[in-house]
This record gives sequence, structure tokens and C-alpha cells, in this order.
Amino acid sequence: MSFSAVIVMIVSIAALWGVATITLVHSMRQEGRKLSLLQEQGNFEPFSPAAQHDIEEWLARNPEGEKAREMRELLELQNQARRNNSRHFYHWANS
Amino acid sequence: MTTTISREQWGSRFGYLMAVIGAMVGAGNIWRMPYVTGENGGGAFLIAYFTLLYLIAVPGLMGETSLGRYTRQGLLGTFRKVYGNNRMVGLGLVILIFNVVLMSYYSSVVGWSVYYAYHALIGTFTQTDFDTAALWQAFSANKPLNVGMHTLAMLMVTGILLFGIKGGIERLAKWMMPILTIALIAIAIRGLTLPGAIAGLEFAFSPNWDYLVRGETWLAALGQALFSTGLGWGIALTYGSYLGRNDDIPLGGGIFTAVGNTSFGLLAIFAVFPIVFAFGISPSSGPELAFVALANAFGSMSAGYIWALLFFMGFFFANLTTAIAITEVGVTTYKEERQLPRGKAVLTICGIIWLLGIPSALNANILGYLDFVLGNWGLPLATFLIMVTIGWKFDAKRLRIMSLNRGADLYVSSIWEAVVRYQIPAIMLAIMAYFLYSNLSQTPWKTVSGLIVLTLMIPLCMWFMSRRHDTDSTNTFVEGRRS
Repeated sequence: MSFSAVIVMIVSIAALWGVATITLVHSMRQEGRKLSLLQEQGNFEPFSPAAQHDIEEWLARNPEGEKAREMRELLELQNQARRNNSRHFYHWANS
Repeated sequence: MTTTISREQWGSRFGYLMAVIGAMVGAGNIWRMPYVTGENGGGAFLIAYFTLLYLIAVPGLMGETSLGRYTRQGLLGTFRKVYGNNRMVGLGLVILIFNVVLMSYYSSVVGWSVYYAYHALIGTFTQTDFDTAALWQAFSANKPLNVGMHTLAMLMVTGILLFGIKGGIERLAKWMMPILTIALIAIAIRGLTLPGAIAGLEFAFSPNWDYLVRGETWLAALGQALFSTGLGWGIALTYGSYLGRNDDIPLGGGIFTAVGNTSFGLLAIFAVFPIVFAFGISPSSGPELAFVALANAFGSMSAGYIWALLFFMGFFFANLTTAIAITEVGVTTYKEERQLPRGKAVLTICGIIWLLGIPSALNANILGYLDFVLGNWGLPLATFLIMVTIGWKFDAKRLRIMSLNRGADLYVSSIWEAVVRYQIPAIMLAIMAYFLYSNLSQTPWKTVSGLIVLTLMIPLCMWFMSRRHDTDSTNTFVEGRRS
């Protein structure tokens, strides 16, 4: 088997089975963390710091209307979860 | 806040991931990908394929799944929620019809795999001097048997779907996908120990870099990336609608689904080509590869009974989990639209598919024609409609903020919005135009007739949904006056 074919084969295995296995394991672990937070405190914050920033930015640009109301409710849900829970799912630098 | 409808959910993360992988891994991964890879420059094709997988399939699947999770409804309910209760819901009906038609002939493929799994079980392929080509020809010519296999396949799909999302689809996928993985790994290990097997890997992986600058390579990679992942057919949307509000989508529904699905294609290369080359079989794809060439090779191998059984059972599992997913799109939608118990919806949709599938089971030309029209234009059109709906009507930015990044294990940035808004719809239009250009001179009748049917379907479906909306409004008004 040629050297280039061996390299392509190894890279393909790493890029597919490697990535698939890592994502599966990471995804299962994260789910385990979520379940543990749910059992301990009933809920957790649904958005990461970057995702929360997106909501705030969107609301600043679109403050009125039905869609803004829906977005504001999500932000409130997020803030409540952050306030009421001692343990967080996402990493918050200043918490 | 979005109205939360009380509905079934996946029982576990692992169950959802196996179900969604099972939905995407089908016949194409096993009997198509190895050949397409080898024929299009091996490593060069894989590079083109990986690029398109991450540029199109991964972001597309993220969008479709997150829209389903946001609306928590099937195809028509989702389109109604996005467009309002008007004729535009007809676009969802178009995709639903594509799914039903797709399943009507895919059920025959499931039937073939049931038939061959049965023959593997009773040891047909290991009989002395057994002629696998004769078996395939006799089976193809036996119309009642083909209808019987199609019926059996639909009965299996019906039986599983009657148990619901968690008790049926999830429970099945949690067993079948690991078994399929083990079966393919075992066959690959056995294949690699055969003399001459390495030539198969050389054929598949040896990079021919000239192919990387050929348009055909990229088109083949695009076709494989799109059709193998089932992007835009409503499957990811339907399965996503059963996710919890804070379940992750980008990592599981996007990256794992697309990459995991392709991983089975890679495994198939290891399982199929060493055997093909070890036995001096000409590399090919489709039914000829699986049912004639490989069946023959298994019969000639030591302990061939086990390898044939593992391969054909695995092949059957792959097809069955895909068939279940395609059918579930119709079941979920019909159940919600008619507000029926799940059992009635399953029996109705499976009954319709069974009836529509009889012509394809009787005549391979009908199956080929439907596959030609749907593969070339129907499914790219479905993907185009879903992506335009996500990107423009719903607003990709709003979906990313509200649903995609909610509970996400991986933050998705705003670049994703441009991919969904511009890149995927433009590629879909280009692929449809290319297929039209390349097929018009070779198969003018099939191309023109298929395009006429598809072109008429959109206004017809929109008219139907508009009429239905008017009828519902009138009934509501009359009932209101009575009360």
C-alpha cells in the first residue's frame, strides 16, 4: 500500500471515527452534567455567556414587538436561572 | 414564549443520537460510498467530501434540527408556525409528499435486504456452487415475492412505529446501530486478513490529486454529502421536534450526526473493498455489489455463513432504521394535523405508503424513475425550501439565538447564518440546474416529465392548503354562530 494512501486512510479514520467518538463521549458527559444539575437544583441556565450576549445584543437592536417579547422572556429565564442556582452549567468568569 | 405542546420526548441522549444516526445511515453508505470514493480519486474525493460535509451538511442539519425543536411540531405544523395559516404551508406539504414517495420505493429496498438477510440466516450463500447472480435475477423477476417483501418491510416499520418515539424508534436504534458497527468492524477485520485485500484499500484511499480540480469530483462529493445525511427532507426537523428544550443541538444534531453518518461510509469501505479485491470482483455499487458480488464472496470464505449473516443483518438494520425515520415524518405530521391517536396515524400513513409502493415493487423501472426524479430535483428542492424557510422567513439569526445555542455544548457564531441564508440555497439551485443540464440530452422524457410533475406540485399543494384553511375558517365561523 502506498505511503500517501496510508496517510489518507489514517487522516480519514481520525477525521471521522475520531471526531465522532469524541463528540459522542463529550455529548454524553455534558448530558450527565445537565442531569445532575436538574436533580440537584431543578434547572440550570440554558445559554452560555456568548449566547446570552447575543440575546442582549438582539434586544438592543429590536426592542419592540412580539419577537422581542419572546426573546425577553428567554433572557429573563436565563437571568432567573443564574440568580437562583448556585451551580452553573456554563463557565461564567465573574460568578 | 413559544407555546409548549405536551408531546413525547427522547428517553436518553444516547437514544436520540443512535436514532438520528440510524435515520441517516442507509443503503447509500454501504453500497454507494465505497465505490464513489474509489471512482473519484480516493483521497481527493474524501477531501472534497469532508469540506462539503462541514460547509453544508453540518450547518444545515443544525438549522433543521433547531427549527424542529423550536416549533415542536411536524412538517406542516412547523411551516404553519413560520408562515402563518396560509397557502405557504403548501411548501411543507410538498416536502411531506416527497417523503411519502421516497418511502414508497425505499420500502422495496428494505424488502430486498429482508430477503437477503433471510437467505443469509438459512445459509443459502454457503451452499456448494451457489449462483448468487441467478438468485438476484430470479428474485427480481418474481413480482409477487417483491410485493410480499415490500409488504413485510412495511409491516415491520408499522409495528415499530406503533411503539412510539421512545418505545419504538429509540429502543430499536439503541440496539441496531451498535450491532451494525460491530458487524461492519468484524467483516472489515476478516476482509483485511484475506490475500490481496490491501489492493481494495489502495483503490479507495490512494489519492489522485488531479481529481480535486475536477467538477465531477466535487459534484459526486456534494451528492454523497447531501443524500447520505438526508439534509432538508424533514427527518432532522421531525426528530428535533422530540428534543427537550435544553438539549444540545450543534454537537449532537449537527456534528455528530453528519460525521457519525459518514463514519459508517468509511467503515463500509473497510468492510467491502478488501473482500471485493481479494476475490477479484470488479468494483461496483448498488444491488449488484451487495446482492451478487459480496454474497458470492461470502459463500467462498471460510466461516462464510457468519460473515454473510453479519453483513446482511447489518445491511437490513441500516435500511430499516432509515425507513422508520422517513415514515415518521409523515406519521408525526398526520397525527398533529388530524389530532389522531398515534396508532391511527401510523396505520394510515403506513397503509398509504404500502399502497403507493406496490408499483415500485412490481416494476423496477418505476422505482428507478421515482429515484431519478426525487434524487435529481425533489430532494434538493426540499432542502432548498427548508433552508430558505429557516434563513429568510424565520430568520436564521433569531433561530440561532433562540434555539440553536440553547443548551448547546458548542457555541455557534453568526457565520452560520450566512451559510444557511446564502450558501446552501445557492448550492441547491446550482445542483438542480446541473442535473437538468446533464440529464436533458440523455433522458429527455424522464427529465421533462419529472420536472413537470414537480413544478405543478408546488402550486397544487399551495392551493390545497389555502383551500383547507378557507374550509377550516368557515367551519369555525359556523360553529361560533351556532354556539
